This record gives sequence, structure tokens and C-alpha cells, in this order.
Amino acid sequence: MSNDEIFAAAYREHYWAVSRYVARRLDGRTSEVEEVVAEVFTVAWRRRDDLPAAPLPWLYGVARNCLANAVRGYGRRRRLVDRLGNDDAAHGRHIEAGPDAEPPGAWVHDALARLSPADQEVLRLAAWEELGVEEIAVVLGCGRRAASMRLHRARRRLKAEIDQLCPAPTTGTTATKEQQHG
Amino acid sequence: MADELDLLRAADPVPADHPRLGDGPLDRRAERLLADLRREPPARGRVRWPHVGPGLRARPAWAMLAAVVTAVTLTLVVGGTATTPALAAPRPLVVRADATPVSLDELARRARADAAAGGESLRKGTHVQSWSLAMSEDKAPVTLPEERIVRWKPDGSHSELVVATDPTHPGRPVLRDDADGPRLVEDGHVVSRRTYPRSWSDAPPQSPPPRDATRLRAWLQEAAAEPDGLGTGELLDAVELLLDNWTLGARESAALAELLAGTEGLRPAGRVTDRLGRPGLAYTYEERGLAHLLIMDPRTGAVLGRETTFTRPDPAYGVQAGDVMAYSAWMR
Repeated sequence: MSNDEIFAAAYREHYWAVSRYVARRLDGRTSEVEEVVAEVFTVAWRRRDDLPAAPLPWLYGVARNCLANAVRGYGRRRRLVDRLGNDDAAHGRHIEAGPDAEPPGAWVHDALARLSPADQEVLRLAAWEELGVEEIAVVLGCGRRAASMRLHRARRRLKAEIDQLCPAPTTGTTATKEQQHG
Repeated sequence: MADELDLLRAADPVPADHPRLGDGPLDRRAERLLADLRREPPARGRVRWPHVGPGLRARPAWAMLAAVVTAVTLTLVVGGTATTPALAAPRPLVVRADATPVSLDELARRARADAAAGGESLRKGTHVQSWSLAMSEDKAPVTLPEERIVRWKPDGSHSELVVATDPTHPGRPVLRDDADGPRLVEDGHVVSRRTYPRSWSDAPPQSPPPRDATRLRAWLQEAAAEPDGLGTGELLDAVELLLDNWTLGARESAALAELLAGTEGLRPAGRVTDRLGRPGLAYTYEERGLAHLLIMDPRTGAVLGRETTFTRPDPAYGVQAGDVMAYSAWMR
């Protein structure tokens, strides 16, 4: 197969996985998902000669960069509307949360939100993208050893936050994956 | 009872069976994008990334990919019952309290003096001996020692050599893990020897580290992908990332020493002899069940090593308080 055909196959296989990756990180800003995903695959197309045999972590890595740009752009827009002071969204007035409005798992998200962005990302990659340490290392652009350590530390911090938020113990783990540190 | 990752999995806001983004055939919009891309003329040179404002730079995808090539190919290890006795986890370094501890401010002053006198120069690549704890939920933890040398060439390519060795037990067999499982190998066994093609990365950690503390902090922050700032623990992680990619010169070491001198919670602990037999000054920081020990050259202020030790047991992984989780000793 030519590189173009290999890219097209990867695109068809992973388009929705990349879309979910992006959607999970845009906090409900669904209108931006398709735009960012299009940018991800445009960048990937131009770099298609570098597409590895296992392309999904590599595509996530590209998406991570594209999202960083999108989020920075979003931050700039928020600062602008904050200065203008007349945008409902800037003051959260469009949100009408009530007792029944809390989505399932919201408290886990609360616990996650208390962690650093780097901790959050490594945990999302492990839990939501279901990546192993080797693949996480590809996405984060670090060594396997560093990825493993980051994941272990992040898990400990998340557990501490969950324990604070939720009185039920979370010991007696069911996970079977092993952790490599160093 | 579910563990923290299980809980997080269950809280996936966009699961694989999501009604709009679940796996399945491409929709018309996705098909159109693919068709548009395939009509695009072949790209030349680099992809241009949007400018994101002063002080911020988008990290090109290949920057991350280039960083990957420094990955050490360690695989998960289970404790081999017949192999572990010769490979007991090293004990933490013994710190000898100093009647007049050397502050990081004083060490930063010495580092500046060393830089002013010439000192070593910056070199891309690293030479590091490490001991890392491999943990499992159902086996005893074991420690994997290895030496890694990364050398860059003027054409932008580089090579990486990883050797299984433990200089604290010269000549003795060393534990490794490969596709066939954990096994003992001879001291000096070549784990991997790789040559990587030219890399164009110009973002941290591939870009040269700055020579002043403020810019170095920004560099570390970008390398660690922590846009909201670095706490002391994250800063020490980022320093490890720096030293796993660069062999610092005297001026960069001086900037790092100055940065560390202004770091909250890092305090002098005394004198140590590191695992390579080098005299050092130890500085400690504790957080969430871990103690970090930074070992620095008393004359030049260069960071010689870092030790991370558990301060609380973690029964799920068979870890005791005082076990060394990771130790890195950087050399020139």
C-alpha cells in the first residue's frame, strides 16, 4: 500500500476514536470537536510519511497539540469576553445547575479536576483511551519509564482525592495491570 | 470494590458507544474531509503551527515523537522467585547531617563562580545510571538497574545504548525483563542499541535549556506540559526530564541551582556519597507519601542524582515505607 492508502485506512479505523479523544477534552464544547478533529487529520495527512505502524497513539499525540492550540484560543476568547463584561457565558449565567442536573460520575470528574493538568491527562489516557504505558509514552512524548511513573503518581493522587470526596473505601483493587516505575 | 481507574472509566463522558461519536462507518462530513485531504497537493517541509502568543509555542507533533525515541524499553516485570535474592532493592542513601548545612543559595553562588571560571559546557544527550522499582499487584516488587547513554550527532540524528548493569554490584548478574519474562543477564548485557534519524524538534525538552533561572523555569514548565505552573514535586520531575535529555554545562547548572534555591519546600539535609561513590550535598522535599532527595555537587552545584523513596507503605504493590522507588545518577 502507498502512504496515502495507509493513511486512509488509519483515518477510517481511528476517526471516531480521535473524535472521542477530542470531545472528552473540550468539556461539552461540541461545536469545536469537528473543527479540531479536522485539524488533527490535516496535520496527520501532511505528516503521513511518519505514520507509525500503530497509528492511534501517534494520532492522539497530534490531537493533543491541536487541542492545546484550541484551548489557548478558547482562553483568549474568554479573557476577551471577560473584559467586555457583557457575555452571559463569561459569567456562567447560561448554566442553571440543579440537584438533578449532576451527570453520572460527576464527583469522579470533580476529583479529577483537582489534579494538575498533567496528572489529569495521563489518567484520561489510561482510563478513557484505554492506553497502556508504552502508548501513553508515545502520546505524551516521554519515555516509557517516565510515563509509568507519571501514571502511578497520578493514580495515587486521584485515589487520595476520591477518598476525600467519597467516604466509601476504594481499596481491594480489581485492576490487573502492573505498574513499572523508575 | 472498583479502584480509581475503574471509577474513572465508568465516568467516561464520551464512551465508545456514544450515539454520535461511537465507532462505526464514517459519516458524510468525515468522508468529505478524507476526500479533501487526498486531493491536497503533497506537502513540503514542515507543518506550520499557529502562533499562540508571546511566551507560548505550540509543540509540534514531531517534538513529542522525537522525545519518544529516548524511551527506555522496559517491560512490566513480575518478581521472579529464583532471581530476586541477588537483586534486593537498594536501601536509601544515608545522609550525614551537617553541622553547618550548605544552603541552596550558597550552592547557587558556588555554581555561578564555577560557570564564571569556565566550567563544563552543555551537551545534548545524557549518560544516566538508574535503579527503578517494578511493582505488581500480586508479586513482590523488584528493582531494575540499567545504564543509558544517548549521544547526538551534528546531523541531528542520535543513538541510544541501554545496558543492564548495577555498579553497586559489579560483575554480578542483573535482572531484566523481555518477551520471555524476567531473567538474569550478565552484567553489561546490551538491552538495546538504537540509532534514530534526524529530528527537527525545537521545543523543550529537545530545545537547549536556557541559562537563566526564569527562562529555565518556563522551559521546564513547557517540557513537563504543566501550563498552570510547577509545584515543587512537578519541578523535580521536570528536572529529571531535563537531565534525561541534556548533559548540562556550568552555566545551565548555575541557572538550575538558582532556580532550585528559590523553590519552596526544598531544604538541605546533609552530606551523602551517591551510588556512584561521588560526594554530594542532599536536599529533600516530601509530598504525598514520597520523599525526594536531590544530590548536588558541593563544588559546582550540578545535580548529580535524584532518589525517590516511599514514606508510607503501599500494600497493594507490596511496598514498604523506606523502599526506593527510583534513583537516577547522571554522569558526563
